[in-house]
Amino acid sequence: MKQQNTPKRKGKTSLAQKKENRAGALFIAPYLIFFTVFTGIPFLMAIAMAFGNVTYITKLDNLKFVGLKNFITVFTNEEILASLGRTFLYSLVYVPLIMVLGFAFAFILNKDVFCKNGIRSMIFMPYVSNMVAIAIVFKVLLGNGSPIIQGLQNMGFEPPLLLQSLKWALPTTAAIAVWKSLGLNMVVYLGALQDVPSELVEAAQIDGATKWQRIRHVIIPMVSPTTFFLLISSITGSFQNFTIIQALTEGGPGQATTVMSINIVRTAFTKYQTSVASAMALVMFAVVMIVTLIQWRGQKKWVNY
Amino acid sequence: MTKKDNIIKWILTIIMLLIGICCIAPFIFMLSSSFKVSGDVMKFPWHLIPESPTIKNFTSLFTNGIYNFQKWYMNTIVMTALTILIKIFFVSYTAYGFAKINFKGKDVIFLVLLSAMMIPSDIMILPRYIIFKNLHILDSMWALILPSCVDVYFVFLLRQSFISIPDSISEAAKIDGCSHMQIYQRVILPLAKPAVATMALFSFTWSWNDYTGPYLYISTMDKQMLSVGIKLFSSGLTQDYGAQMASATIVLIPIMVAFLFCQRFFIEGVTSSGVKG
Repeated sequence: MKQQNTPKRKGKTSLAQKKENRAGALFIAPYLIFFTVFTGIPFLMAIAMAFGNVTYITKLDNLKFVGLKNFITVFTNEEILASLGRTFLYSLVYVPLIMVLGFAFAFILNKDVFCKNGIRSMIFMPYVSNMVAIAIVFKVLLGNGSPIIQGLQNMGFEPPLLLQSLKWALPTTAAIAVWKSLGLNMVVYLGALQDVPSELVEAAQIDGATKWQRIRHVIIPMVSPTTFFLLISSITGSFQNFTIIQALTEGGPGQATTVMSINIVRTAFTKYQTSVASAMALVMFAVVMIVTLIQWRGQKKWVNY
Repeated sequence: MTKKDNIIKWILTIIMLLIGICCIAPFIFMLSSSFKVSGDVMKFPWHLIPESPTIKNFTSLFTNGIYNFQKWYMNTIVMTALTILIKIFFVSYTAYGFAKINFKGKDVIFLVLLSAMMIPSDIMILPRYIIFKNLHILDSMWALILPSCVDVYFVFLLRQSFISIPDSISEAAKIDGCSHMQIYQRVILPLAKPAVATMALFSFTWSWNDYTGPYLYISTMDKQMLSVGIKLFSSGLTQDYGAQMASATIVLIPIMVAFLFCQRFFIEGVTSSGVKG
């Protein structure tokens, strides 16, 4: 990248263009240097480390190329495969919920509803809040003896302790993640819905389309570019769940919420298997890329620009 | 509007209002509980207004002698403020270069930066640790500040808003003899204030709320940030619910206040910016 931003001095370049080139270099060079140090080099290092034999993170002196050994470890280690499975399960709860609820709430709020802005802000509020602080609150609210649990018990139910149950902990963390990020998806959808020309919806109405048909055949296709964008960012977001899970359950109870992101950090910082952790991160990256590519190729079928 | 439409409107409002209340219910529980005596937090039936209100939960945070909340609070404030300041100038400076200067290779470089947005942050955790160590910024707040200043996302957003400022304005300044630096400082930056405000607010929430960064890269207790601090605190005092709620409250209050007063920049910033795909 560096070479491209120092202008090549060919005889033909006009003086004004030369000046522009120099100004451009001045304006973006500092950023490019920082970008290279904090994003470019780490990315290349991550790839290199995945094919090496780094064990303790600070010792890089006798780095050896070990080929695909670390990847073989990733795909044969049952614990790692189980955590990969849990990541998919988490996404399977998170992505559909946030997509459907985000659209539904935006759709209703875009219609005539009283105190629209107030409700919008209420739903958006969790997005700006601190996950660790929220986790403290949820742990108390869903924990043994909380007012909610007591209330349900008084009504004759026997509510499970969601965050401490092997069966429910993972879907619960995903649901709390949905609660936290829903506002952003909803607000983005609101922006898109406001851009749908009302003549189009009215025309469909005059042609005799029912309410459901109008949503299905006019509005959903009109906001499909937004759906596409949100789908990709929600899937990517659902893989990056370290903070949420670490704050709520730290991977427990047992291994019930040990997803890939938790496992990567654990492998690197407590087991000191740095190269295996890098290989795991790279596998996650590959999954993100493949999902995005499939979406990208599939978009022609359902996205209207 | 017919009568039937009006009834539907009321029903929808009530449903959405209930959903909204569910969304903020944990905050209400937290705020109310932080003023309760610990024994009252789990009491059923639950009371919104504490029966015997107390501020002991808050004062004990700052006087307990084990957990240094003053220090953590200061660290977080300084770190967040530095991040926002550096980011505003660094990112807008770069965005100006991409938006208003026609230099060779601009599009290629920008495309490379954009594609870097696809790299999940998990993959960077380990290599960044090694880089911080070699730059001797591991275990200092610079390990949190510097990487967040190379946020490609905001370069992209600011570039969009700079491009939407008509070229005729900057051309006029150029004819008057302004250099690019002067145009950036005196013309473009003042005109793009709303976009810069949105960026500052989002940076504020992201830096303030960051947990992974301090958790992984800061080890000295006195240099730690609030997010990690309250996690330690709450796992140390599992039974003192009042104090736990107070610790959560002091972390959330600055963010909530910022949000309540600047909602416009938060929400309209999202709707009007380039995130529409």
